[in-house]
Amino acid sequence: MKKYSIAIFATALTFCACKKNLEKNPLDTLTPTQAFATEQNLQLYVNSFYQMVPSAQAVYGESGVIQGYYLHGNVLSDLTIWDQKNTYLHGGFTSKDAQGWSWGDLRNINYFLEHYNQANIPVERKNHYAGIARFFRAWFYYDKVNMFGDVPWYGKVLNSDDPDLYKGRDPRTLVMDSVLADINFACANISAVKSSSASTISKWTALALKSRICLYEGTYRKYHTELNLTSTASTWLENAANAAKEVMNSGQYTIYNTNSPAKDYRALFTSQNPIASEVILARVYNDGSKIYHNATGFFSNFGKYQPSFVKRFINAYLKIDGSRFTDVPGYDTIQFQNEVLNRDARLAQTIRTPGYKRSDGTVAPPYLAAAAVSGYQILKFSLDDPKLDLAGISYNSIPVIRYAEVLLNYAEAKAELGTFTNDDWNQTIALLRKRAGITDVSMPTTLDPYMQANFYSNVTSIPLMEIRRERDIELAAEGFRYTDLKRWKEGKLLEKEKDGIYVPQEGQLLDLNSDGKPDVAFVTTVPANPVSGVYYFKINNGIAKLSQGTKGKLIYQLNLTPSYPDYKYYAPLPYSELLLNKNLVQNPGWDHP
Amino acid sequence: MKKVCLLLREKQLFLASNSLKISLWALCVTFFSMVSFHGNAQTVVTGIVKDATGIPLHQVNIVVKNSNAGTTTDANGQYRISKVGLSDTLVFSLVGFLSREVGVSGRQSIDVVLQKDVKMMNDVVIVGYGSQKKVNLTGAVDQVGSEYFENRPVPNIGRAMEGVIPNLNINYTSGRPTAAPAWNVRGLTSIGAGGEALILIDGVSADPRTLNPEDVASITVLKDAASAAIYGSRGAFGVILITTKNAGKAKPRVTFNSSYSFNQPINKPDVVTDGYTWAKLYKETYGGWYDYSQTPSSIGSSGLPFSDSYLDSLKYRSEHPGALPSITVNPVNGNYVYYGSTDWYNELYKKNIPSIENSISVSGGTDKVDYMLSGKMYKQEGIFNLRSDQYNKYDFRAKGGVQVTDWLKINGGTVFSSYDYTDPFRFNIWQVLNIFGNGTPLAMMYNPDGTMTQTFANSAGALTGGNKVISKQTFQQNNANFAATFLNKTLNIKGDVSYWITNSSTDDKVVPLSYSVKPGVISTTTTNQLAKTLGNYKYLSYNLYSDYSRTFGKHYFKALVGDNFEQVRYEQLAVSRDNLLIPDLNDFNLTVGDNKNISGGGYEWANNGLFGRLNYSFADKYLLEANGRWDGSSKFPESKMFGFFPSVSVGWRISEESFLKDKTSWLNELKFRGSYGSLGNSQISPYLYLEQLRANTSPVIIDGTRPAYINSPSALAGNFTWETITTLNGGMDFGLFMSRLRGSVDIYNRKSYDMVTPGPSLPAVFGTAVPRGNYADLETKGFEVSLNWNDRIRLKKPLSYSVRVTLADNVSYITKYNNPGDLINYEPYTFVTNYYVGQRVGDIWGYTTEGLFTSQDDIAKHADQSAIQVSGGNKLLPGDVKFKDLNGDGKVNKGKNTLADHGDWSVIGNSRPRYTYSFTTDFDWNNFSLTAFFQGVGKRDWYFNTTEFWGQYDVWYSVIPKHTLENNWSLNGGDPNSYWPRYRAPLVYGERELQPQTKYLQNVSYLRLKNISLGYSIPKKIISKAGIDNLQFYVSAQNIWTTSPLYKITKNIDVESLDYDGGARYNNNNYPTLKTVTVGARLTF
Repeated sequence: MKKYSIAIFATALTFCACKKNLEKNPLDTLTPTQAFATEQNLQLYVNSFYQMVPSAQAVYGESGVIQGYYLHGNVLSDLTIWDQKNTYLHGGFTSKDAQGWSWGDLRNINYFLEHYNQANIPVERKNHYAGIARFFRAWFYYDKVNMFGDVPWYGKVLNSDDPDLYKGRDPRTLVMDSVLADINFACANISAVKSSSASTISKWTALALKSRICLYEGTYRKYHTELNLTSTASTWLENAANAAKEVMNSGQYTIYNTNSPAKDYRALFTSQNPIASEVILARVYNDGSKIYHNATGFFSNFGKYQPSFVKRFINAYLKIDGSRFTDVPGYDTIQFQNEVLNRDARLAQTIRTPGYKRSDGTVAPPYLAAAAVSGYQILKFSLDDPKLDLAGISYNSIPVIRYAEVLLNYAEAKAELGTFTNDDWNQTIALLRKRAGITDVSMPTTLDPYMQANFYSNVTSIPLMEIRRERDIELAAEGFRYTDLKRWKEGKLLEKEKDGIYVPQEGQLLDLNSDGKPDVAFVTTVPANPVSGVYYFKINNGIAKLSQGTKGKLIYQLNLTPSYPDYKYYAPLPYSELLLNKNLVQNPGWDHP
Repeated sequence: MKKVCLLLREKQLFLASNSLKISLWALCVTFFSMVSFHGNAQTVVTGIVKDATGIPLHQVNIVVKNSNAGTTTDANGQYRISKVGLSDTLVFSLVGFLSREVGVSGRQSIDVVLQKDVKMMNDVVIVGYGSQKKVNLTGAVDQVGSEYFENRPVPNIGRAMEGVIPNLNINYTSGRPTAAPAWNVRGLTSIGAGGEALILIDGVSADPRTLNPEDVASITVLKDAASAAIYGSRGAFGVILITTKNAGKAKPRVTFNSSYSFNQPINKPDVVTDGYTWAKLYKETYGGWYDYSQTPSSIGSSGLPFSDSYLDSLKYRSEHPGALPSITVNPVNGNYVYYGSTDWYNELYKKNIPSIENSISVSGGTDKVDYMLSGKMYKQEGIFNLRSDQYNKYDFRAKGGVQVTDWLKINGGTVFSSYDYTDPFRFNIWQVLNIFGNGTPLAMMYNPDGTMTQTFANSAGALTGGNKVISKQTFQQNNANFAATFLNKTLNIKGDVSYWITNSSTDDKVVPLSYSVKPGVISTTTTNQLAKTLGNYKYLSYNLYSDYSRTFGKHYFKALVGDNFEQVRYEQLAVSRDNLLIPDLNDFNLTVGDNKNISGGGYEWANNGLFGRLNYSFADKYLLEANGRWDGSSKFPESKMFGFFPSVSVGWRISEESFLKDKTSWLNELKFRGSYGSLGNSQISPYLYLEQLRANTSPVIIDGTRPAYINSPSALAGNFTWETITTLNGGMDFGLFMSRLRGSVDIYNRKSYDMVTPGPSLPAVFGTAVPRGNYADLETKGFEVSLNWNDRIRLKKPLSYSVRVTLADNVSYITKYNNPGDLINYEPYTFVTNYYVGQRVGDIWGYTTEGLFTSQDDIAKHADQSAIQVSGGNKLLPGDVKFKDLNGDGKVNKGKNTLADHGDWSVIGNSRPRYTYSFTTDFDWNNFSLTAFFQGVGKRDWYFNTTEFWGQYDVWYSVIPKHTLENNWSLNGGDPNSYWPRYRAPLVYGERELQPQTKYLQNVSYLRLKNISLGYSIPKKIISKAGIDNLQFYVSAQNIWTTSPLYKITKNIDVESLDYDGGARYNNNNYPTLKTVTVGARLTF
């Protein structure tokens, strides 16, 4: 009988398939309930937003993370020569090349904002984290509006069957009001404890960004009269000034000045640890952690795609005594190695000038072969160690928001409002010029005719003109230029001729760094017996020439015709997106299905 | 059933190993039998066993009933068996013959005639949860025995199974001994989740690489849904059942097998090694892209400079060998200048590598107890020259059983398998040589002062120094099972539990290498890191099932019900840290860098199924089988967790019908079969239906560290459910001419529904990847045929032989896919075409080639082919490829790249293998045995996209395979009939000149001699004095001969190693497949 009972028992067991055995939850991931339970988890989640802080590459322009390659602020700039065809400017760019229409970061933020309230922690702590999320959402939408104008506003996570996936664009006013609401919430709720490493978001970071965004929107509405929003410009400008003023009044930041005018400015861009007395937010790089970028390689001898400055811009740097370089008679025919002497100390910290040495002691003249085609080779972000030229292992942290910008934002907003005072000057521009070693930092009393003729023809305010000069110089190559041109509606400047150093005579051997050895000669044909160590720069080949035939300024990119009609203020929406969503309307002027 | 099956295995074991009884025994018979007879009540019996035609039978198994004594006949049919009781019964058996029991009745000489078993009634096939007489099978099942695996020294079972069973496709794309193949049954499974065949070893899911091929008793493949249905969702794409040898009731037996093999790469790239020739061609192909307006200034980005004057010095050196040194120093910058002619393949790869295999097995059994132990050691030297890789593998398997009562048997077993593989080089060498121009013969390995060159340090130099990757894996399995029978053996209950653990580890060490670019200046590479990954895979399964069978008159019923549960848990730990203080040591205590990383990971899943099977047959003529499985899987949301998947199959043994039975002497067996069934596929990632937030280390430094972060989960598709696979199968089995010819034919249609593929494109504002859902369908049609001929030829010493021929084919079509406009595009590097409805999977779209342009006039008169780029300036020149304007619109283009308008583009071939076939022959004569196994693919096209085929047409600075220089337009004076066009590059990409087209489409069908082996057993009279039962020597060779139409163009490429599913990839030159010659010996006592 025993064996039959075993048989029956075993057969019965056969039918015990249990659902319980099939409940298998992930081992190494969190469910949404677990992920938002504690404050630590909220902190973990907001850490993900920091990947939105522009990378070094996005700032100096090797490739744009937010803005894309052709549309980068240092590439789509009238201040630089970029030795390539830029199809956005020179023709050929279509909606199939569209960039920047990516929305993953927004989904990540909105997912947080839909879940963070689950955490069982004090409401002000929750709001701190929500503030950081909204800080980044404001930044995200500011970038989108800057690029495309009207964009659809999404304040929620979209499911794959959500009809809102197919909605049209929302008006600029709605989107920017939402951006303002976000950044105001951020300013009000993020902790006021300043980051000592310039790498986390505090109330002060939010205020600094607010000054940037509001100045952008205020000036954009003021100058882009076709939007019919001019009446609303001053509110935005006041917001910009107030936000900047709040940072200034907080005493949290100063202009980094150790009374070493030849070094202080560049230290901001070449330090491994951000100089947190001035830098409000940086993208941090570090040799020990092996987090690197490639700015040194990009700007040193071997790159092909980096921009160099045009002479028209270099001329704008004041002399060290505060007088205008362009007031010097014959300023336009001074050779490179002489023109850069006794100038605003930021010049020698922005481009290579005679006396620049690598860390191994080698002298390094501007390298005209494949790069620095103008002769004004940028060194702002590159380190001096030649080992870094070929390996992408630069480790200097890159400032993304600086106190200097806040001062410039304040000054510009006040000047645009017409309420700029001498006191304002002393609190802003004067501080920057002082750091640059300029001896007379008082506000000029006459309008600079060079600036008016070569840059901002419709600016008649003396302080505004000086503020713009200051902004161009102080923030040179930091990626601001294209946005500045757009908000000032100065896109036509992009059509200007690209000029380089002055060449006294075709064929003459030039010693750019005054070390006694010739570096370059501008020739139509390379001589049969070239001088060792000299780069022979070919002219009269359809690409480059000298402005007066056999002498004069180098004029470059003769083969390309830049064109910036008004429609280019807004980048095209991607062709494929217009196919997927019929409610999405292309920006006028661009091709569409 | 199991009993029958055990008996069968037992016989096979005997046959395999106990081959010799020597006539010496026969000569001494009288003497010994006298002694025995007077000693006790036992005797010695001798005799001859013959078949009905009088031919002596070799290897007939003879056992004394109810004891463990036994022997086999020798080649002359003679046997001798001692210690036989006077009233004992002898059982004579041999595969293919009816067994006979003969009472001894005091006789000392018993001659026996065995009758052929024409119906093969005892031919038993392993099926799911049981076994089945082959004649009663209604599903598509194929089985081979151990003869395919013995005396073939292979690193693992997969290598031995390639091509053996029709439509069982085993694909290796690398010769690395650790390579894991894909096991596929009947072609493309799912373009969504994918899915391989389920592999069970003795009923338990396991990695076949842990199995010693010598232990295999049989391999069965269940191909259609009806036969696999009982395994449920993991058997959706076929099941492979491997059974290992069992001792059964037999005398103790010890077998040693030892072999030594010589291995060689099956194909060796035949490349240009002369520096000057390479440099000339480099300039030519580079210039070609720039319409001959530019000379390269460096070789790729290898750091090696290039100029016209450098080329001139190379020419001078080539014309005046030895006149100038091959390394000089540049006076301007002080750097070394190299003028090498390095034969990288010679330097980096060995010509011959040895491998050794030793194995031992011990088995035996009585009525109550049986046991089997087997162990194997396999060692293979690596193929790299500078520092060899090394592969060691150890297998151990033990099992035994106890008959506890007359109705209960308990068995247990354990398996241990372990390998370690040390790879000095972590990268793909062919790629490393081709990337950046490091593989140019101009580059050299060492400077005159003995330091490494920069090029070498940056490429294959890692083969020197302390770099290594050590992979280890140990597999441990424990099984226990019971079998109980009741009600006069009509009710059986069986159960088993199995638990196994695979522990794997990878130690990865990168140490800095020193190199020199100028005399006296030493630089070092920067990476210095130690990393370790540990994996732990645990598997638990149990099965409990019972069957009951009953016969009522002509009606036969059998019912089986059971429960199957399995669960898997995998955990991983990976750590790394940089700055290893002492490169020779491997401990993390010696790493002191700031850069450290720890990561984990893991998953769990479980399946639970209730299954049942009902067999019914009437008069052994009409067969019916129904299967059902109610299957649950943890991989689906709760509402979709369970699915019911039924199947049914029928058979008609028409040869048993009175109108055929005994009417035709030539027809012994004919059966028609049909089956239909559906199965769910659970071979998907475990948590696809859940929102998961993952923690990672941020790439951004915040407050001095890289913090952890979590971010939003991937989006999920709604209504996520099972992929469903249905198979309709029709088949026929037959036996003709006294069953000397036996065969099976099957045709099938398999449909995969609701495959998990990317959903429709969504606007980018969605913000994340479109979730994968059940969006696509696929249909595969195919057939398979296998024929076996077995016969013996009556000679003075009989010759027995067999021939087995198989043929299989399948094609797949996409029947549903998310591609609204039927757009056709290919990936520009791999040329893999996207899916669209109606597509035959594997179709290669391409242009039709008309020839090469002969003159500018020819170009001017031809249709506009500017859509195809031939150079940077897109300037067509004579020698460039001329494409046919198929639609006559004056332009060569792809229209709108849609199915409706594809311009001059058409389907020019198909990359999936068609008509795979094999034939195997066995000869046995006078102690000699000869086996040859050929395997091939009847039809297959391939469009290559890599430098192995194209050399510098693909990449300027590539290694140059010599075949690209033969019949080359640029080198043979512009002959318009040249095969290779104008020498320029890079053209094997996207919309460029050498994109897929008819002229360069290759026919990669092939026929390969996969194995040939010759064995000789030493006559027993010579060895018996040493107490040896059997001593066999053998020579075998693997992969030694291949023919393919491709080999008319190039022999650089192994035609069998083309990637099966991924399209036009080919990777075998990194670690080539090996051809092997083995000598070995097998000893049994």
